[in-house]
Amino acid sequence: MKFAHLADCHIGSWRDPKLRDTSTLAFSKAVDKCIKEEVDFILIAGDLFNTSFPRLDNLKAVVMKFKQLKDLSIPVYIVPGSHDYSPSGKTILDVLEEAGLFVNVFKGTVENGKLKLNFTTDKKTGAKITGILGKRGALEKAYYEKLIIDNLEKEDGYKIFLFHSGIDELKPKEMENIISQPLSLLPKGFDYYAGGHVHIVDDKQIEGYGRIAYPGPLFPNSFAELEKLERGGFYIVENENVRWEPIQIYNIAKLDVKCDHMTPDEIKNDILTHFKNKELNNTVVLIRLHGILESGKPSDIDFREIFNFLYDKSAYFVMKSSHAVTSKDFEEIKTDAGNVEDIESFLIKEHLGQIKLENLTLEKEEELIKSLMKTLSAEKQEGETVPDFDRRVREEVGRILEMEL
Amino acid sequence: MDIVGEYMLKGQIISGEFGRIIARQKSGQSIEIGELLIADSSDGKILMQVYDLIYGSQISQQNLEMISGMKLEENTEFELFDANLRSYMLAMMKSLVTIKDKNAFVSKALPSVFSEVKEINENDLSFLTKPRNPLFVGNLRSGSKVLDVPIYLDGEKVFSHHILIAGTTGRGKSVLVSNLLWNAIGRNYGILVLDPHDEYYGRNKIGLKDHPNKENIVYYTSRNAPIGTNTLRINLDIIKPFHFEGVIDFSDAQRQCLNIYHKEFGDKWIEAVILEKDLGIGKVFKDDTMAVVKRRLLYLLDLEFSNSQLFCNGVFQLNSGFATISDICKHLEEGRIAVIDTSNFSGAVELLIGSLIANEVFNRYKFYKMNGNLNDKPVVSIVLEEAPRVLGKEVLEAGPNIFLTIAREGRKFKVGLTAITQLPSLIPREILANMNTKIILGIEMKPERQAIIESASQDLSDDDRTIASLDIGEALITSNFAKFVTPISIPYFEDAVKKTLKGKGEIAMEFSELG
Repeated sequence: MKFAHLADCHIGSWRDPKLRDTSTLAFSKAVDKCIKEEVDFILIAGDLFNTSFPRLDNLKAVVMKFKQLKDLSIPVYIVPGSHDYSPSGKTILDVLEEAGLFVNVFKGTVENGKLKLNFTTDKKTGAKITGILGKRGALEKAYYEKLIIDNLEKEDGYKIFLFHSGIDELKPKEMENIISQPLSLLPKGFDYYAGGHVHIVDDKQIEGYGRIAYPGPLFPNSFAELEKLERGGFYIVENENVRWEPIQIYNIAKLDVKCDHMTPDEIKNDILTHFKNKELNNTVVLIRLHGILESGKPSDIDFREIFNFLYDKSAYFVMKSSHAVTSKDFEEIKTDAGNVEDIESFLIKEHLGQIKLENLTLEKEEELIKSLMKTLSAEKQEGETVPDFDRRVREEVGRILEMEL
Repeated sequence: MDIVGEYMLKGQIISGEFGRIIARQKSGQSIEIGELLIADSSDGKILMQVYDLIYGSQISQQNLEMISGMKLEENTEFELFDANLRSYMLAMMKSLVTIKDKNAFVSKALPSVFSEVKEINENDLSFLTKPRNPLFVGNLRSGSKVLDVPIYLDGEKVFSHHILIAGTTGRGKSVLVSNLLWNAIGRNYGILVLDPHDEYYGRNKIGLKDHPNKENIVYYTSRNAPIGTNTLRINLDIIKPFHFEGVIDFSDAQRQCLNIYHKEFGDKWIEAVILEKDLGIGKVFKDDTMAVVKRRLLYLLDLEFSNSQLFCNGVFQLNSGFATISDICKHLEEGRIAVIDTSNFSGAVELLIGSLIANEVFNRYKFYKMNGNLNDKPVVSIVLEEAPRVLGKEVLEAGPNIFLTIAREGRKFKVGLTAITQLPSLIPREILANMNTKIILGIEMKPERQAIIESASQDLSDDDRTIASLDIGEALITSNFAKFVTPISIPYFEDAVKKTLKGKGEIAMEFSELG
C-alpha cells in the first residue's frame, strides 16, 4: 500500500498578484509527484481551499488536477478544514464530491445524540478511512467529545483517521497560543493518523495510537511560515515508511536585521550590501527588521530603493516585516484619557514640534494636524460617487495645506 | 419545653468574665461544646459559643459523694432539694459578635447577669450575607446540629491570601477539598491541584468530571488519559536549574554544574549533562560531581542513556510536551481548575512538576502586575497536599523554593496556596501566620492544635478542646475574611454533586456538516 498525505493546501491564500497562484501551483506539483510515485490513493487532511467558496480560476486549475487523478483511478479522500468548511455543510467541496472528484470521509450517523462515524473503504487497498472535519476556533472538539469510539476501535484492517486539529501534547512551543485539543480525544488503534491544521512537519509514533503525522502546508502561508519552513511538502507513506516530499516553488533568501543603534540609512546600506553579491533569480526575499533606531522613524528606511535594487537583481518577490522596529522619537506614551478624542489630542500635543517647518508655531501645527485628521477621516456620503468623494477630500486637504493637489 | 418568643430557652447567664461567660443550663435542655447561643444585651444580641462544659450542683462535693454511696452500696434513694434545682450543667461561653440591625461587630460588652440564653434562630444570622465572589464552604453548625445557613467566603480574597486545611487523617480533608473545588468550578478561579492520590477528578468514581460546567476542568495524567483529558508530557527543554530548588537537595558543586551547563547549552542543557558534552571553559568539575548529577537527573526524570542515545521513559520527553506548562497556565488564567494526577510519581517528581507550573504562573502574574493587567486576571490558587514537603521547616532550611516565595509574596500578585496538612506544626510559624484562612478539622495531637491556635486570624485560645472534639465532617473556619470563628459542617461530596446535577440534562448537538 502506498498513499500520499497532503494537508493545508490553502488554495487562494496569497492575495498579492505575484503569489496568488502559488498555492495552486504547489498543489499541481504535488499531484504530479503523486502520479509519478504511483500512489494508491491521496489523503487531504483539511483546508484544501482557503475559503469555502474559492475563486473560479483557482477552482478550475484544481478541478483539472482532480479530473486527472480520477482518470488515472487514484481516489482522493478528504475532510474539510477550518478554512473551507461551512456551518451549513454546503461548500464547494460538496459540489466537487458530487462530481465524483473526491470523497469526504466525515460520514456517519447520529445515534442518541452521539456521533457514529462510518468507514470509507478504499477499493484497491482495502484501507479503511474515516475522520472528523476541522472548524474555526477548534469547535470540532465538541464532535470528538460526542464520538462513539467502540466501532472505530474494534474495526479490523488497516485504518486511517483524517483530522484537522492541533494536539495539545504534540504542538510546538511557538504554537502554544493556538487552540488545540487533547490527544485522548482521538480514537485509539488506527494505523495512521493523517493530521492537518497545524503548519508543522512532524510525525510521531505514539503508544496506543499509531503514527500521528502532520505534513505541514503545501506552500507556506505567511511571511513567518516562509521564514520558518521555506517550502512546503507532503508525506508519501509506503508500508511502514513515511517520507516527506518537498515542493520547491521558489528559492528563499532571508535576512534578519537588528536595528538597534542604527540609522535608517545605515540599515538600508546594510541590506543592500548583504544582497549585493547574492543570486536572487526566482527567489522570494524576506527581510525582518527589529530593534530601536538610533534616529529617525521606521518610515525613513528607504524600502523603495531596497525593493528596486532587489527586483533589479531578478528577485521574484520581496517582503519585509518592520513592525518590530521602533523609533526613539516616538516612544510609548501612557495616558488616562477617557475617550478617543482626548487620547488623540493628548498624543498630538506630546509630539508637537517634531515637524520642522518655517513659520509653523506649535499652535498652528496642532491646528493643522487636527484639521487634516478630521478631513482624512471623512466618509463617503450617501449618493456620492467614489470619484466625487476623492475629489472632495483632495480639495479640502489642498485648502488646509494651501497647495494644489 | 420553654419557648421564649420564637426562641428555645437553653439557660441563664450567672457569672464569668469577658471571654468566659458562665451560664447554667436549663433542665431538660442539652448544651453541646461548640453550640451557638444568643443572649440579649443593651447593644443588641450577643452571639456566643460554648467552649467547655462542667457539672454544677447546689450540694457540696462531700454530700454528692455520700448520696452516690447510698445509692450504690445501700440501694437507698436519698434526695436533697428538688431534682431540677439540685444538679445541672454549667456552660463556658465566649462571645463571638454582637448583632444589631443585620450587622455584626466585635463584642465589647457583656450580657447582663441572669440574661436568658437562647438557642440560635436562623433569623439572627441574617448578617451572614453572600460576599461578592461567593465560595460555599459548608453549612453553619451549632454543636453537632447543622443549620440551614450556608457559609460563603469571598473566594477571591481567601484564595489569594492562602488557605490552610489542617486535620488528622480521616476527618474529611479530601471531602472538604472536593467540595471547595466543586463549588469553585465556573466561578473564575484558577486552581492548580497537584493530586497525589488521583482522587479529585473522579476517573472511576464521582468527581469533578461530573460537574455541569466540566469545560472548566482540565485533567492531566501520565496513565491512560480518559477521553477528553490530557496526557501529561513535559519537554525537557522547559526545565531550568532553578526548578529543582526545594525539590532536590543538590550540593553547591552540583548546583554550579547545572547552572554552567544551562548557561552554555541553553534549553538543551539536560541532554548536554547526560551526554557529558564538553564545556567551552574546559573541564571544571570533578568526574564524581558530573557522575552524581547525571545519575540523579537520569533517575529523577526517568531517562535512559544507552548506545550514546537518550531515551525518555516517563513524563519528561524530548520531542513532545513543549506547550504543556504554558497550556496549564493559560487554563488557570482563564479561570479553570487544572488537576494534575501525580499519583504515579515520586514525591520529588510531583514537586518538580509543581515547581515548573508555579514558577511560570507566578512570573506571568508578576508581569501582569507590572503591566497593569493584573485586575483582569482571576486569582490563582495552588493546592498542595502534605504541604510540609515544600513548606516544612527542615525543607526550607536547605534553601527557599517557589512555594515559600508564593506564601510570602503571592497575595500581592493574586497567587495563593491552599496548603493541606495533618502536621501544621512542621510549617514555620511565620508561614502559618501568612495563611489568612484556616479550615480546621479534628486534630487529636496537642502540638498540632497549638500550632494552629497560635497562628490563627482570630483568638482560638479557648478552642483547644473544641478542635479536639471536632467529629468527621465538622470544621472551624478562622479567617481575616470571616466575622467570627465559624463552625461549619462539610456536606458529603456525593450529596453536593447530586444537588447540583438535579434536573440538569445534556444539551443535544447537531452535526450539520456530516457528509
